[in-house]
Amino acid sequence: MTLRPNNPGKELRSRYAWLGAAFVAGLLLLTFRLYRLQVTHGAEYAQKSEANFIKPIPIPADRGMIMDANGRILVDNRPSFDAFVTPAFCSRCEDHVLPQLAEWLDWDEEELARMQALVKAKGKTSERFQRVPVRVDLTRDEMDLLLSHQRDLEGLDVEPVPHRSYRAGTVLSHVLGYMNEITQVELEQKVPGRPEYHLGDYVGRRGIERALEEYLRGKDGLRREVVDAHGRVFKGLAQQLGMDTIKPEAGLDVVTTLDYRLQETAEKAFPGVAGAVVVVDVRTGSILAVVSRPGFDPNVLSGRVSAKELAELNKDPLTPLIFRGTQNHFSPGSTFKVVTALAALQSRHFRPSTTVNCSGGYKLGSRRWRCHKESGHGGVDLRRALQVSCDTWFYRVADVLGINPIAKVGRELGLGAPTGLGVVADISGIMPDEAYHARATPGGYYKGHSLNTAIGQGDVNVTPLQLAMVYAALGNGGKVYQPQLVKRVEAQDGTVVKTFEPKLLRELAVPAALRKVVVDGLVAVVNEPGGTAYSQRIKGLEVAGKTGTAQVKKLGDVRLKTEQMDYWSRDHAWFAAFAPSKDPEIAVVVLNEHGGHGGTDAAPTAMAVFKRYFELKGEPPPVGREPVERIALKLPPRPPPPPVRKRPEPRPAKKPAARAEKAAP
Amino acid sequence: MRVGERGIAGRTPWILVISTLLVCALGIWNLSSASRPPAHPFWINQSIYLGVALVAGLLAAAVDYRHLRSLAIPIYLLNILALLALKKFGHTAKGAESWIALGPVRVQPAEFMKIGVILMMARFYDDDFRPEDDSYGFLRLLKPALLALVPAVLVLVQPDLGTFMMICLSALTVILFGRVRGGVWAVGIIGALAVAFVVWNDYVRDGGHPPKTIARHYLKKHQDGRIAGWLDPEADPRGTNYHAVQSRIAVGSGGLTGKGWRNGTQTGFSFLPERHTDFVFSVLAEEQGFVACVALLFLYGVLLLSILWVASHSRDRFGGFVAVGVASMLFWQIFENIGMVVGLLPVTGITLPLMSYGGSSLVSVMMGLGLVVNVGIRRSAY
Repeated sequence: MTLRPNNPGKELRSRYAWLGAAFVAGLLLLTFRLYRLQVTHGAEYAQKSEANFIKPIPIPADRGMIMDANGRILVDNRPSFDAFVTPAFCSRCEDHVLPQLAEWLDWDEEELARMQALVKAKGKTSERFQRVPVRVDLTRDEMDLLLSHQRDLEGLDVEPVPHRSYRAGTVLSHVLGYMNEITQVELEQKVPGRPEYHLGDYVGRRGIERALEEYLRGKDGLRREVVDAHGRVFKGLAQQLGMDTIKPEAGLDVVTTLDYRLQETAEKAFPGVAGAVVVVDVRTGSILAVVSRPGFDPNVLSGRVSAKELAELNKDPLTPLIFRGTQNHFSPGSTFKVVTALAALQSRHFRPSTTVNCSGGYKLGSRRWRCHKESGHGGVDLRRALQVSCDTWFYRVADVLGINPIAKVGRELGLGAPTGLGVVADISGIMPDEAYHARATPGGYYKGHSLNTAIGQGDVNVTPLQLAMVYAALGNGGKVYQPQLVKRVEAQDGTVVKTFEPKLLRELAVPAALRKVVVDGLVAVVNEPGGTAYSQRIKGLEVAGKTGTAQVKKLGDVRLKTEQMDYWSRDHAWFAAFAPSKDPEIAVVVLNEHGGHGGTDAAPTAMAVFKRYFELKGEPPPVGREPVERIALKLPPRPPPPPVRKRPEPRPAKKPAARAEKAAP
Repeated sequence: MRVGERGIAGRTPWILVISTLLVCALGIWNLSSASRPPAHPFWINQSIYLGVALVAGLLAAAVDYRHLRSLAIPIYLLNILALLALKKFGHTAKGAESWIALGPVRVQPAEFMKIGVILMMARFYDDDFRPEDDSYGFLRLLKPALLALVPAVLVLVQPDLGTFMMICLSALTVILFGRVRGGVWAVGIIGALAVAFVVWNDYVRDGGHPPKTIARHYLKKHQDGRIAGWLDPEADPRGTNYHAVQSRIAVGSGGLTGKGWRNGTQTGFSFLPERHTDFVFSVLAEEQGFVACVALLFLYGVLLLSILWVASHSRDRFGGFVAVGVASMLFWQIFENIGMVVGLLPVTGITLPLMSYGGSSLVSVMMGLGLVVNVGIRRSAY
């Protein structure tokens, strides 16, 4: 081979240097970028890589129990098995795993679509490692099915989770409350001092569960598992790598003021379809028992409740979700007369001996107000007026005083304002006065309003708890307490963390001697022949009480018997009382909605409660808290896999990966 | 055949050979971690391929490259034929018809096409040399451009966008090396700006609803996703951007000294895709850290510069252009592959020379390096 002329290639000499410089510049650019990634931001990426393969699994804390005053458990926890999907590890979620779950767990298409959308949305955010609960309370069969196919269902976990157990079912449901899953909106809210929540956590929704959430909810623990990109868990590897587990802190137990034994008696004795029974300790304002009927089952509302069931509960005309103790108000009827009586005595116009002649009604202007006894009671003083519930005497008071002095005493006793119970929402009721009528009544106030109010009709409305507090104040010498449901909060070992003391709101201005006249009247109601509740008297216990039969509908000319009216037109039957009449201990209010007459349809319940209360006083009190086995949560052993249905598998390419030299194009 | 006084051993560019062998050793060691149990031990296959590749490289070094000069046209045409044959006998894998099965062995003609293009371009620049007019205008560039584009387009329709880009970029480097006129520079720069504008318009600017795009809607969905992911690294980490995100996590989490051989969690727990092929560098970065990455880049640098040293000492223009072609091919593959792994460039299916698993690529790179050694051994006496 001959050399070519002109010394070829010499002209290229300088260009090599340029090319070499360009190559070096390229490699230096890469080096710089590597420095940024590995050295400057190395720690951040190290964290991200940990987040990749370490799956944090919250260990739910034991929620505190709710007990009655004697340590009897009203609410505790039971193990339930829930199914979760972790979007990050569920690569075939939408087209395989979820449709399969839908088939096995009987989801309708709407539910499936909802789950698919949820998992898809989570999968795109940093929350893709958080478990999405897809089913709570798996049945044994469902659990076996899921566990044996877990290999095929990438990203699915079945975990034991403590669920709430409301031991008494519907009893006390409004007061205890229920729980359900925290919503997305709530999760995103930033509330300072609030315990930490995760998707799928349950929060208290009503009553004590809601009001004492911060005490009841413990602090979740955390354990870590090592997982690969397909979500396969390497059991125990995290511990080998020295990753610690954070133990959960159990929630605190709530001790209520309730006495479940008394509650049972009240539940059993209450005859009505709808209504309430409130039992309070007049010396402290503590609620000892409270019935609100109809109720709901918190176990259902806290679990797998369907939209349809919820709608039915909401649509029920008897409003089972409303707590009748504080969340609905009613005309108090004659039970209100104690307020009118106190107002009368406080004024200088009436004395205990002031006598009014009842001829079966009272004439004001051209209109005649009827007494419930058409034939009239004849001449009655205050004591007799209370005993026989003569309306005319009170009409006279209203005629002389007007409405404002009555309203003033009513408000002093706590009517027309929320009781401040706190644990359950309460409404204010209505204590009308002139200003109220000027505002709320077309045509404004006129004297007739005060006559209606004086006998507990018209616009005056009270909640059963308000009325109970009125009678408690009457019984305890004029002290108006704030009603109270929670006594204390204590740790699992019984250490008291917080005590809720009784709270005295006001003392009544009516002198004791005058109050005694009213109490005497109430004693006569029950204990003297002719009293409206005389038939219900208890031997050996002097109960002071007042019946009430509140009209729901304006009476026509013909007086119908209770059985002749349709349910919604019937009168409310009331009985409000305290005992013993000397040095009272408890007050009881019974409201039997559309139940008929106070003396026959409400008073017996109250008497049963009184009887039981004083019986229990003779028994030695149950000592300490009920022994309880705190549940231990463990998955049952994995069932053997059922025969797998043969599915045509895609034919593997010859040595699939071995020849693959390119990434997916 | 005439060899200088110092003999073959004395004229062999040992720095080039040694740095190549060091990279290969590092590559196999790294592969044995990337394909640790329970994965198939690809590093054993790769060792066998390396033996084959070394033989091929020796052959490429043995025959005097000036004979190869006369063979450039047949080699080039043969490679084109092989690419055309793919259409008929091609074996499809991962959506591309890139393989031809020859009995038990499957080869990737595109890898060998690179060598064909390098030889052909060198041949052109040697033949076309005019000492009085050393710079190329549009008309004179038509031929070399076609020589590169015809095989490149054949690769593109497989479809193998990555190799297409590699051929184009290498050919462009060779063409620039062959010196072009100012007008060509101007058009080139305007063209680059236009591409930048299109990318800005289609991906960065908020173009209203529906967005007015110039070229984006012609791209395939996965290609579109990769460009979008490249420009917005945080978007869609589970979907189109998964490779890029996981690779960056692997590289970054390696830190200064790495997690240790076979201790990489991104690799071991399968978060890193394509860990023995396209993303093999991530494995090295995660397990050996910044120090080893710099060492590898240094070895590559030494390799590239020693190729250029050989080129600058070549006996003739043909030899110089062959070496420059091989260097460009290597450089762009290294730059694009590592650039993609560290998130500087969009994800394309380019392997890392001498590090990634794959027989055809290894053999073709070794053949290219063999050619360079060939040129070095037969350099002029001075």
